[in-house]
Amino acid sequence: MKKGIENFVGVPDSTLKHFVDQGLKKNKIIIATREEEAIGIATGMSLSKSPSLVFMQNAGFANSLSTITSLVEMYQIPLIFLIGWRGYLKNDAPEHAKIGAIQPKLISTLGLESKILTESNWEKSCNWAIGKIKKGTYCSLVIRREFVD
Amino acid sequence: MIRREGVEIVVKTLSTKDIAVSANGFMSRDLYEARDRVANFYMIGSMGLASSIGLGLAIKNPSRRVHVFDGDGNILMNLGSLVTIGSHGPKNLVHFVFDNSAHESTGGQPTNSVSIKINEIAKAAKYKVFTVDSKNKLEATLKKIKKINGPVFVLVKIEKGKYVSKRIEIEPTLIKARFMKAIRNR
Repeated sequence: MKKGIENFVGVPDSTLKHFVDQGLKKNKIIIATREEEAIGIATGMSLSKSPSLVFMQNAGFANSLSTITSLVEMYQIPLIFLIGWRGYLKNDAPEHAKIGAIQPKLISTLGLESKILTESNWEKSCNWAIGKIKKGTYCSLVIRREFVD
Repeated sequence: MIRREGVEIVVKTLSTKDIAVSANGFMSRDLYEARDRVANFYMIGSMGLASSIGLGLAIKNPSRRVHVFDGDGNILMNLGSLVTIGSHGPKNLVHFVFDNSAHESTGGQPTNSVSIKINEIAKAAKYKVFTVDSKNKLEATLKKIKKINGPVFVLVKIEKGKYVSKRIEIEPTLIKARFMKAIRNR
């Protein structure tokens, strides 16, 4: 992911723990208080022609719907959303059940182009996302939570 | 002083190089009407986020001053932003909050800035804080802060007014395109 992306702004998510920890080690991460705030900060950076990614859990993605439509979509801000998909497994914690179940529909209703990252497609998908922001548009990459702790 | 007057006093002092970001609602309309500039980013949706966009711009444009035109209702929706800005300490960020203790864009309903002082919250978040309640004091403070490193917070006490500035007639994608062009040399 490092090639082509200069800023990583978001709210930590346990599904994305290793990603966030690596970024923190390299001093590349800005942690915001809420997901909408992270999108705002990343927007300021993208407007400065500095390619940015926003990371969040899908609960925070659901919090951000109005910001995504009235800022990112309306102004066409180049951004990558990296979203941890809680509630992907049926036996995940109960607070994730509803948003987890409607996650794919939520993304498609927004018209947000998206790819689910897997062991075999992650590199290609990341390059696809970087290509999107280079063209001045936005997209999302989703990481499924495939374990229960 | 009403918001439109305060906004005009501030925006008159901006140089070509200076960046401005304005909150949604009447704030952006006031900025547009008072002085439309290509380096103004009118945030007409995404309520509460003007200061966050300002932080991203300030970090990436260290040689430019970033001026956030915020309202009390707007910043109260995103108080976490004060903490994030204060902890990053951008020297080039100036955050104006025009405070009439009301959501004027939606009909003048009260905000809780009547009893909880936003300037004191900003102080706790390590901003350099100034509070003004007249045009003269605002003008004097603007001169003073030119030489001060940010993040600077200026609480501008205003009265509610009946005056409503015109709507922004520029398409959002055009607001963005001309803004990006104006600031492309970081």
